[in-house]
Amino acid sequence: MKKYDVLVIGAGIAGMETSLNLGDMGYKVLLVEKTPSVGGKMILLSKVFPTLDCASCISTPKMAATAHHPNITLLTSSEVEEVARKNGNFRARIKRRAVFVDPAKCTGCQECEFACTVAVPDEYNFGLVARRAAHIPFPQAVPKKAVIERAGTSPCSFACPTYIKAHGYIALARAGRFEQAFHLIMEDAPLVGTLGRACYAPCEDECTRGSLEGPLPIRRIKRFIADYYYSRHPEPEYGPPEEKKDQKVAVVGSGPAGLSAAYFLAQKGYRVVIFEAQKEPGGMLRYALPSFRLPKDVVERDIKNITALGVEIKASTRVESLRELREKGFDAVFLAIGTWEGRKMGIPGEELEGVEDSIEFLKEVNSGREYELSGKRVLVVGGGNVAIDSARVALRLGAKEVIVQYRRSRKEMPAFDWEVTDAEEEGVKFQYLKAPVRFIGESGRVKQVESIKMRLGEPDESGRRKPIPIEGSQERMDVDLVILAIGLKPATSPFASELELNKNGTVKVNSKTLQTSLPYVFAGGDVVTGPSMIVEAMGQGKRAAFFIDLFLQGKDLESAEYEYKLPKVSREEVLSRQLTHSKLPPLERKMVPPSERVKDFREEELPMSEEEVLYASSRCLDCGICSECHECVRVCPADAIDFNQKPVKMDVEVDAVVLSQGFKLFPAEKKPQYGFGRFPNVINAMQMDRLLAPTRPYNTVLRPSDGKVPDNIAYVLCTGSRDRTVGNPICSQICCMYSLKQAQLLMGALPLADITIYYMDLRAFGKGYEEFLQQAKDMGVQFVKGRIAKIEQKENGNLLLHYEDIENGGIKKVAEHDLVVLSVGILPNPEIAKIFKEEKLELDQFFYIKQVDEDLSPARTSIEGVFVAGTAAGPKDIPDSILTAGAASAEVAAYIESRRRAK
Amino acid sequence: MSKRKIGVYICHCGGNISDYVDVEKVRQAIEKEEDVVVAKTTMFACSDAAQQEMMDDIQQKGLDAIVIASCSPKLHLFTFRSMAQRAGLNPYQYVQVNLREQDSWAHTDDIEGATEKAIRLVRAGIAKARVSKPLEPIRVETEKKALIVGGGISGLRAAISLADMGIYVFLLEKEKELGGWVKNFSSMYPHNRSGREIIQKLVEEAKKRERITIFTEAELIEKGGVLGNFQVKIRTKGEEINLEVGSIIIATGFEEYRPSEGEFGFGLPGVVTLSQFKKMVENSQGELRFNGKKVNTVAYIYCVGSRQREGNTYCSRYCCNATLHTAILASRLSPSIRQFHLYRDIRTYGKNELLYEEASKLGSVFLKWSEDQPPEVSSQNGHLRVRVKDLLTDGEEVEIDTDLVVLVTGMVPRDNQALTEVLKLPIGRDGFYNEIHPKLRPVETVIDGVYIAGASQGPKNSYEAVASSLAAASKVATLVLKGFAELEPQVATVDPEKCEWCGLCLEACPYNAFEKVKHGDKEVAKVVEALCKGCGGCVPACPVDAIDVKGYEDATIKSMIEELLAGGEG
Repeated sequence: MKKYDVLVIGAGIAGMETSLNLGDMGYKVLLVEKTPSVGGKMILLSKVFPTLDCASCISTPKMAATAHHPNITLLTSSEVEEVARKNGNFRARIKRRAVFVDPAKCTGCQECEFACTVAVPDEYNFGLVARRAAHIPFPQAVPKKAVIERAGTSPCSFACPTYIKAHGYIALARAGRFEQAFHLIMEDAPLVGTLGRACYAPCEDECTRGSLEGPLPIRRIKRFIADYYYSRHPEPEYGPPEEKKDQKVAVVGSGPAGLSAAYFLAQKGYRVVIFEAQKEPGGMLRYALPSFRLPKDVVERDIKNITALGVEIKASTRVESLRELREKGFDAVFLAIGTWEGRKMGIPGEELEGVEDSIEFLKEVNSGREYELSGKRVLVVGGGNVAIDSARVALRLGAKEVIVQYRRSRKEMPAFDWEVTDAEEEGVKFQYLKAPVRFIGESGRVKQVESIKMRLGEPDESGRRKPIPIEGSQERMDVDLVILAIGLKPATSPFASELELNKNGTVKVNSKTLQTSLPYVFAGGDVVTGPSMIVEAMGQGKRAAFFIDLFLQGKDLESAEYEYKLPKVSREEVLSRQLTHSKLPPLERKMVPPSERVKDFREEELPMSEEEVLYASSRCLDCGICSECHECVRVCPADAIDFNQKPVKMDVEVDAVVLSQGFKLFPAEKKPQYGFGRFPNVINAMQMDRLLAPTRPYNTVLRPSDGKVPDNIAYVLCTGSRDRTVGNPICSQICCMYSLKQAQLLMGALPLADITIYYMDLRAFGKGYEEFLQQAKDMGVQFVKGRIAKIEQKENGNLLLHYEDIENGGIKKVAEHDLVVLSVGILPNPEIAKIFKEEKLELDQFFYIKQVDEDLSPARTSIEGVFVAGTAAGPKDIPDSILTAGAASAEVAAYIESRRRAK
Repeated sequence: MSKRKIGVYICHCGGNISDYVDVEKVRQAIEKEEDVVVAKTTMFACSDAAQQEMMDDIQQKGLDAIVIASCSPKLHLFTFRSMAQRAGLNPYQYVQVNLREQDSWAHTDDIEGATEKAIRLVRAGIAKARVSKPLEPIRVETEKKALIVGGGISGLRAAISLADMGIYVFLLEKEKELGGWVKNFSSMYPHNRSGREIIQKLVEEAKKRERITIFTEAELIEKGGVLGNFQVKIRTKGEEINLEVGSIIIATGFEEYRPSEGEFGFGLPGVVTLSQFKKMVENSQGELRFNGKKVNTVAYIYCVGSRQREGNTYCSRYCCNATLHTAILASRLSPSIRQFHLYRDIRTYGKNELLYEEASKLGSVFLKWSEDQPPEVSSQNGHLRVRVKDLLTDGEEVEIDTDLVVLVTGMVPRDNQALTEVLKLPIGRDGFYNEIHPKLRPVETVIDGVYIAGASQGPKNSYEAVASSLAAASKVATLVLKGFAELEPQVATVDPEKCEWCGLCLEACPYNAFEKVKHGDKEVAKVVEALCKGCGGCVPACPVDAIDVKGYEDATIKSMIEELLAGGEG
């Protein structure tokens, strides 16, 4: 455990002064600051009263001295979680938050900030303007290092089985950076065009906007990105990786799982060969999905993303022995052969000609076989995606009538609702609660089907209500073609002797590593999961590639961490951050009209225009704050961004503790009659200080509602102070003076403006303060004694202040101003008391840290060895904070020396 | 002269400079100057990142001098010296050019002119950098001893604190008894603690500590030496004692404002100052009486001797709190007492607001007067009457017949002329000792090693005085605990070849920093470096031009002047 003499908590002006004093005396100081920079509130001020020195100019030397002092160790973005007594000293537990930037590498160049795609309200400008998620807090920050604000993983990205940073590419699309968006998707999934069309988009179900006006069309935006990129880059921009490895990996199956695994393995330099039983690669993408949903040229372009890396695809090559592959020199195998066997119903007549398996049917159609269905009636049996696809294909092949029979009701159907609707629009007929019991043939060919009606019983093991046949409800119907789409299973029987299989025929794997019972064989995709989504299969391929790489390097698989994700941000958290949000309705999905699209296999969904994409992506609520668009990673010249950075906990031993955690501003929303947060031109004094600061957000003082330069400004003193209605009966000690300061600065910045200060008492009590008040009066600042009762807003944004004019007969008056500054008071930060577990840190009646001997030892608290400095013990201006910091340093030194002498 | 490698950095100061000086134009103008190898602009030269960049330049480009054109050296001289040192450049080979106070802020109406001036100023800085030589600070050992002048609550508390930190203390008190003002109080706000008991406790504690030596009836009469190593002479009970101390704290306190005869009726029977009234209340057994008569009514007049248009313009800070606290005590003694507070602003800042609340609850009545129409106090047949125009009731004339008028008298600086002269301490416009910076350095003075504590720096109540005395103690500790201090090496130097001892330099020197030494077979002047402040007063006095101030040699200044006079952009 590291040992320091003193732990100072909070690096505002009091904490810095205490640390510097103690450091200069020769003590080793550990200074812990919650925010990313030292400097506290003072560094954010414009100037200071009564000297009108520039606050940054007098703060920065202290900040730099603090950071560079040989006896001070500074920990920013860190919090002390617990302090407990240990052998007379204290043991403190400190947590350093993850900031996702390696401070040792960061040079403060701000490139990440310029590239960042997410804007959030800038707390250092008190919400007047926005800052980026990747940011340096303010220009004079010490240390001047970037930090990335991440609230967690955005729900859309979190939902993606292959962890595509959906939020990231939405943020890039919002900025019009479509090529970057494409590259970002490619970090996690090489089949961008395919996913943009045929992904079932679990991300959209999680979209926080979905609980408001409707989710973002995340998939369709991805389609736009793919189309945008592919139209500009018919061929991939890259070739095989420069660094090659000798080891070879065989991938069996060229569906989404196999392609994905091959892509990631090839990127790492492995020599990858894909074996595909069919004539063409793509698996289900090519052979199962109808081309009106997924045009085959898109699949082909997607596959180039993999082959460009040097991956060899051996088509028409069926693998039936894994050992054979091993013998041929492959060091590892990824088995991803999908589920290509249709389940049978087990009813009479299934063997008749004209009764086809859906997957065979789709494969044949996709392979170019001509079906002549004109004028014919087709029956599709089943209620899944494949059933719907088959029905719609049949329609496009000219069938007069297509009927889908499903044994449960529409509610239980596994197909998506929109798929059913699309099919219905095209004229597919649905017969629910009905299933065939036998097929009746004539000369070996199906002629009729006999079906029975069902009713729903109790839920079965799948959770859905079990269909129960209704006796005697049999009906017969003439049919020309029957397509059975009642489920798929893997064709794993050739491997049964080599691998452990599950009862349903799927391959048994370690669910984390996807390793099979044969160590060099990994398996993934539908052959492991059973029929699933494309993106799920791709996720498995990516996972397998990660672990195959570790396996080939001889590393331990079980202990490895795959895809570190922050926890998902909750919807409630996201919505609670939105003070307001504009109502932005979703865009309807545009399709070719049903009567047109059934004529052929043209792509049924129309693309979004660039304008629509910009609008749609602008609806994103930036749930995780950082979008993980990885632009910062791309641009950082120092390679300092680390999305896997984790919080660090450390224990230290110290002799004494100084609490200098400062104060909070009174939240002006707590005086609703003043309209802060509702009336844009009612701001708080900290915001005005920012408007006047050298690092101000605009180059002049502008009022928020319309950017007008104000010419009649009011100050409302004692906002949240001397006010029992908000629970703060005491005076905040600084507001009169900072208001006078701002009034003087405003008279300099806006010479024509009138400034009126509404006050109760003018408390100019410190050295040079009364003279400062007189100076403000001489400059022409108006003073009105009277507490503002309420503020109303006029249509033009001006404000009406109601008050009692005490010095003029106490009559009620109304004054109009174009900008109102609330001189907000200060509140304690009592949460610090919680870090003391064994001994109680006492607070005073106002929840400031209690000074147990204010008369003689102002820094002493109720815990021996724990001291207080600055506003942590009560309202103070800067000189008083400095004095109490000096007192704390002297008391700490005396305490430490007395104890050491006693030993 | 061998070729130099100079880096020049021109600061925007976040707009403070760049709003009025075209910093890029300045950069371009000096970029091609001889010896300039780096010329950059920067948003905040003082920021950590900018300093890092300069350090990288110094190390990677081998700079042997740098010029930083930003603000006054008062702000960042030490910032940049320390940066240079960290980068391995001698801190005295960095030159500060003041583009803000001396240029942008002074010429906000003339951007072109300000830019032209900036170019010349920077060129002069480059000229200075070109001839800059490395200098080493003068190191002096510091004594682990401190002298405290003033044995009131501030001085006592500082003494105990220093002793506990392991520092020896000589505590001087002018009076026979320690304790200052506070020893006279029996109840002080906000905790109602007895001042007398506090002082008793402090004196006991001080006497317990071996490291503390107390001198009463004592004053400081001479100070020599340098920071860390002052030689002081004190006089105590007719005896003079020489002491060596590393540092000095001045804690000489304040005086109560004494109203002039007739000021708000002062002099009339029943018109008393706050301290007199407080004593009356504290000493009262049972209900409050004055001259044997029960006190039914008290009128307080605030801001007597404070917030004056002419004279004491400042607010005395403690009096509103102290008066209301006393009024609360009076109400407790005599619950039926009527108290009228004739005030200007009630300044019960911070948690003291509760005193205001409580006094109001106990029946105190408040009337506000305007500076232009102060209350008038008169006496008829021994009855006091106060007349005031009350702003809170629409300027109504109010007459109050009262048993007592309490003049709420403020604090004034102590008349310490002799001490001030011995220490050469600066005094502010309010007459109190002046700190080096009221915001961030409230206990430090321009005299190195001499600190001010308590009400000697400005009005303070007891607990504020204690905080400031502890702050001063901590500054002493930072100076003497290390065991040494480093002094500016930019001091005068005498060329012994040229010097023919005439003594004019010694006459011109305010610090007695010259001694006569042998040089070969002649006598010459030599600078006592630890005493010299580098003020340059001796340089023009020397008839043979034998003296130069290091870093400000005649040749250096001449080359700077030449650059200032040379054409601007050319």
